[in-house]
Amino acid sequence: MPGTSTAVDVPPRAAGSAVFLGVRHHSPACARLVGRAIGELRPAYVLVEGPADMNDRLDELLLGHRLPVAVFSHYRDDTRVATSWAPLCDYSPEWVALRAGRASGAEVRFIDLPSWHPAFAERADRHTNRYADAEARYARATERLCAHFAVDSVDALWDGLFEVTDGRDGAGGTDGADGSGSPDGTDSLGAEVDLRARLDAYFELVRGDAEADPGDRAREEYMASWVRAAVARAGERPVLVVTGGFHQPALRALSAREDGRVGTPPWPEVPAPPEGAVGGSFLVPYSFRQLDAFAGYQSGMPSPGYYQRLWEDGPHAAAQGLLRSVAERLRTRGIPASTADLIAARGLAQGLALMRGHAYETRVDVLDGLAGALISDDLEQPLPWTGRGTLGVGAHPVVVEMIAACAGDTEGRLHPDTPLPPLVHDVAEQLARLGLADADGPVRLDLTHADGLTRSQVLHRLRVMGVPGFTRVSGPSDGADPVLTERWEPGSASGREAALIEAGAYGARLDEAASVVLGERAQVAGTDAGPLAGLLFDAVLCGVGPLCDELLETIAAQVGRVPELGPLGEVLTAALGLWRHDRVFGVARGPLLGGVVGGATDRVFWLAEGLHGGPGVDFARLRALAAARDVLLHAPELPSVTREAAVGAAARIGRDPRAPADLRGAAFGLRWALGAPDDPATAVQALAATASDTLGDWLAGLFALAREEVTAETAGDGEPLIDVLDGVVSAMTEGDFLTGLPALRQAFAFFPPRERERIAERLLRRRGKHGSARSLLRTTADPLLLARARALEENVALLLDRHGLGAVR
Amino acid sequence: MTAPVTSESAEERLQRPPAEVRYADELAALRAADGDPRPPGWQLSLRAARRFVVGDEQAGVSRKFVGNVSLVERALVTLATNRGLMLVGEPGTAKSLLSELIAAAVSGSSALTVQGGAATTEDQIKYSWNYALLVSEGPSSRSLVPAPMLRGMAEGRIVRFEEITRCPLEVQDCLLSLLSDRVIAVPELDGPQGMVFARQGFNVIATANTRDRGVNEMSAALKRRFNFETVFPIPDFDTELALVEAEATALLRQSGVTAAPRRDVLEVLVGTFRELRGTAGRGERMSAVMSTAEAVSVAHAVGVRGWFLRGEPGGAADVVASLAGTAAKDSPEDLARLRRFLEQEVPRRKGGQWQALHDARHLLAD
Repeated sequence: MPGTSTAVDVPPRAAGSAVFLGVRHHSPACARLVGRAIGELRPAYVLVEGPADMNDRLDELLLGHRLPVAVFSHYRDDTRVATSWAPLCDYSPEWVALRAGRASGAEVRFIDLPSWHPAFAERADRHTNRYADAEARYARATERLCAHFAVDSVDALWDGLFEVTDGRDGAGGTDGADGSGSPDGTDSLGAEVDLRARLDAYFELVRGDAEADPGDRAREEYMASWVRAAVARAGERPVLVVTGGFHQPALRALSAREDGRVGTPPWPEVPAPPEGAVGGSFLVPYSFRQLDAFAGYQSGMPSPGYYQRLWEDGPHAAAQGLLRSVAERLRTRGIPASTADLIAARGLAQGLALMRGHAYETRVDVLDGLAGALISDDLEQPLPWTGRGTLGVGAHPVVVEMIAACAGDTEGRLHPDTPLPPLVHDVAEQLARLGLADADGPVRLDLTHADGLTRSQVLHRLRVMGVPGFTRVSGPSDGADPVLTERWEPGSASGREAALIEAGAYGARLDEAASVVLGERAQVAGTDAGPLAGLLFDAVLCGVGPLCDELLETIAAQVGRVPELGPLGEVLTAALGLWRHDRVFGVARGPLLGGVVGGATDRVFWLAEGLHGGPGVDFARLRALAAARDVLLHAPELPSVTREAAVGAAARIGRDPRAPADLRGAAFGLRWALGAPDDPATAVQALAATASDTLGDWLAGLFALAREEVTAETAGDGEPLIDVLDGVVSAMTEGDFLTGLPALRQAFAFFPPRERERIAERLLRRRGKHGSARSLLRTTADPLLLARARALEENVALLLDRHGLGAVR
Repeated sequence: MTAPVTSESAEERLQRPPAEVRYADELAALRAADGDPRPPGWQLSLRAARRFVVGDEQAGVSRKFVGNVSLVERALVTLATNRGLMLVGEPGTAKSLLSELIAAAVSGSSALTVQGGAATTEDQIKYSWNYALLVSEGPSSRSLVPAPMLRGMAEGRIVRFEEITRCPLEVQDCLLSLLSDRVIAVPELDGPQGMVFARQGFNVIATANTRDRGVNEMSAALKRRFNFETVFPIPDFDTELALVEAEATALLRQSGVTAAPRRDVLEVLVGTFRELRGTAGRGERMSAVMSTAEAVSVAHAVGVRGWFLRGEPGGAADVVASLAGTAAKDSPEDLARLRRFLEQEVPRRKGGQWQALHDARHLLAD
């Protein structure tokens, strides 16, 4: 092949010097560059940004897995828990460096600090992706670049500048590994020189703007020490250093520095976790779904499926493949996508590529074209690829399919000889220790005993991760459930190990993995209150710990946006019950649980004040307000709504003529319960005079919120409420009474039997009658039936009267 | 006889000259420096047109539309194809401004405009007749009065159709054949005059807002002759704040107010608008329009109140007072939403002006 023997490496270099190749993680263009550079340079050493503690086990990486796989690192000590992934796919420059470096006979080393190292601790997210874009952290420079090139996002900018450029034959999957050049070697050589220059300029710009944080500096120092050691050993042959482009300028400077030592510097030591800490790195299977930045959760890169195709077949085929797979997906889902639409989409994409100066359509060109031609509605939210956002709730179905088509559904699989992920061992060890490994009969657990609780937590963690083996047949169903024992049925354990290997990507230990899974479920649940309440209890059942924190934070953020009052009340009741009374799971008074309680309470008032509706009693929303009342009475420090603000809000709800009657009654009761009562007698009389049909609903709300206050009411200034009610009801016409009776009965159902008896006694007394109040409450027939019978008699009497037959009455 | 007025002084008297006049210099400079290929019938290349709309600091072109660049790109490419461009979005998201700018860039004129409404007829879209001439001469090209579509097709220019969804559906559908066959038949005229074929450069930019009557009722046949672009409210707080500040300052100067609006007050104002618009995530939307344009007008009102009532720039209390009239309009639900926001959400915010806003909540009329 012509051209392949020419040195690609432009900068003239002294013998035995290092060649720095700055790459963007997960960039096919950079991967291709790495492959070629290794082919041309035949370096003695290939140094790669990756956890140095994996160096002894690089062979494991090359066993022949189906990518994507990830190097999973975990760490835990008394103060800090951290997990991190370094995902590798076919087009990762790091992966190509590893594979092509080995194939060319070079020594390959990972040269970055281990993931547990404190240098990584400054990243905000505890579950981090080592290969997340460094640019994302230096937004100012990239924003300026985006403005200059008039593009919306750094991904679009990158694609246009580097991925889809001229003079490329495309397919890189085959020649990347063995390092041979493209068929038209000379052209691609020029393009490649050009690409390198542009890459360098780009990373200089990104880096030039911002000061690296101390973590970055520590890592760069460490990487530079590897470079110096390798250069000293390489003799005449070059050393190729493949790192994130962001580190490249600093690394170049640091490596050139003489450290004043004579002779060959030693290989740097791989830091070991401090005394008492546990940490390690393992290979786990990964998936494109996890890698896709649009799916959220972990910062990765967008659209891995598209880039895989770009890597394998080149930009032209990737663009066409994307168009095709979007069309196929839409048609399988029954969303119309006519041929004319697809032609228009293609035309738009090509036009956009031309205008934006792209040699082929980039990912964003194709997506823009499809969006323009296929969506004929107004959108609820901006197209996700115009920023670095995730797909929100209510995204247009066409957009959802487009994003899914970009992501692809490839799942990685480890070679059978790979050592099992630590999770598998951890689970086996825990089950054996707790005597659950080969249970052949039902397991009964007493949750009040530490031993029973520990076992229950392990089984619940397995349950939330969907690992087969045990099924719970009974146990507490929510935080207020007084059931304190659990029964678990053992089932077939087949598939358990496979499930655990797959789940290995979520963590090294069972508790970590379970919390990551719950966290993902919380993301999916969004603002759907039903699943959130379940998740909250699942989190508690699985046991608390630092890893639960993030989940509770997520839930606390989500409850602030739940759209319905009733379901929100359930979350609040569950959270408040746990926060106040839990003695079993040890979460009472937990600050994060308190955050959920506070957020939900604020939201209850927000929703209640905007609620409008017709007649009828909605017990769910009354329970929500009652829960909010309990929070204000027993945990006023949690919500940001103060008692005064709540009283004010309740007054506005009570006055709002369009609020449902039960809610208005509840608002009245809330004010009473919070110690700011209005005169109930006046309120009832006013209501009876204007809208007697809503009286029952209103009373239901009142009794739901202020039952105790009503019962405890002593004859003060005004007439007691019961007496007023008696007067109002007695004064009702027969027809009004019969209409209102079901609602009134419903309202009084809020009183327990004993209190009802006391009310009955009082009514008897008022009428100067003596008798058993209890017998008054225990009728032989359903009162509603009696009422109906009475109505029927009344009708008959009226009919008789009308015909002059009813003389005797 | 009065002395003939020069065109310049005539422009000065205009309240708002069209975009091609306002930015005549920029358009001329862009045209002169434009080396890229132009679609047939276009005055500028796609890239120059994009620069005109989104600005280019180095070339001295101002930024006129604050929004996604890719939206402008998609819009321009759409116009170069055989589909029309439909801009949809909330009122006050600068859809009409965008269509005006694009028409000025592509055709050098934004004047061919159909204003849609319940009373719009086909005559106002295609053509009508000068009845005096029609009676005396019969149908002829002399007695024909061309409407914007006919002119746009004959001259190869962009035609703007504002608020298309406010037109009756049958009137909307008269665009069908026009957009697919690119010809208007004038059956009253004989011979070649009876068919007006669209020249290169003709296309349609329609705008529709999602509040009055959304695009759902539009016929599927017409929908597929358009590419849809949703114009969103400005996503970024700082950008919106800067825009409101600039626009409000200019308006206040016109109204004779010399005090510039206070930035902390504007921050609170813009924050309130974003919250009530539903972009901040609470999912509580006002039914009234809470666009950037409305924010500017409230900022204007705040400045006027403060200056002419008290001789100062206007504070949070003026914001509450102006919001009641401008934003809440006559809807009691909106007023309740606004009150709920002031009562419940505002006290959680940190900052002196938020506190002042909360304290002024009683100014909201009952």
